[in-house]
Amino acid sequence: MQQPTIAPDTTRESEADEVVEADRPWLVIVWNDPINLMSYVTYVLQTLFGYSYEKANRLMLDVHHKGRAVVSSGPREKAEMDCFRLHSYGLWATLTKSD
Amino acid sequence: MTDIGLPLDSHESGILRDLVRQMRALLKESESEDPVHKRLFPSASEDNEDSESFRDMTSGDLTSMKLAALDVVDEAVGRRDKGITTLSQEEGEAWVRALTDMRLAIGTRLEVTEETMSVEPEPDDPAAAPLQILHWLGWLQESIIDQMAP
Repeated sequence: MQQPTIAPDTTRESEADEVVEADRPWLVIVWNDPINLMSYVTYVLQTLFGYSYEKANRLMLDVHHKGRAVVSSGPREKAEMDCFRLHSYGLWATLTKSD
Repeated sequence: MTDIGLPLDSHESGILRDLVRQMRALLKESESEDPVHKRLFPSASEDNEDSESFRDMTSGDLTSMKLAALDVVDEAVGRRDKGITTLSQEEGEAWVRALTDMRLAIGTRLEVTEETMSVEPEPDDPAAAPLQILHWLGWLQESIIDQMAP
């Protein structure tokens, strides 16, 4: 799915700060939990994001060992949708604005 | 695409039906202070305002999706033939989500940790029976995932 470009060209000069704000990507983070199985977390990341088994498994291991991992990023609307989809699969996901 | 086969006896089907009933009741409550409810509808942000607006925006759809997945389990559990319950790929996807919600509800209620999940409970532990169900649901879930088309 193609994401629409948020900032129109016409605002770039007059509202420079807002444009920067809108361009800052949002991060979607999955947190470790003791209940979901490792194999299930890998399955969900493959299913929702189309990641290869290797990539999904590596992210799952990050969640397991480091307590969290960034699993996707993008404009706020996309990040919110990804977070919602992860919640629908029972993963503990949050959103944060990238620094 | 090939169907998914799950070995379920009548006792196990009964457990699933009972869990479906309990999950429906739980999802129809709006008790947001219940830890199980909080786990099924997690906070999406450390910022309270963002978190509240996300919840307002998504909780209706999330509840509908969870209830619809429970309906698929309820319907398919009745189709047992010679000890095997057959699911389409699409039903399998709904099943893994419903089984996850059941596992999250049981595990959160029992306040499980990585450690309690990895050791065999003492037989006289009152949590032994629900823990056994929690692990069995995980086994069912893995069995479905193993049979899902890539």
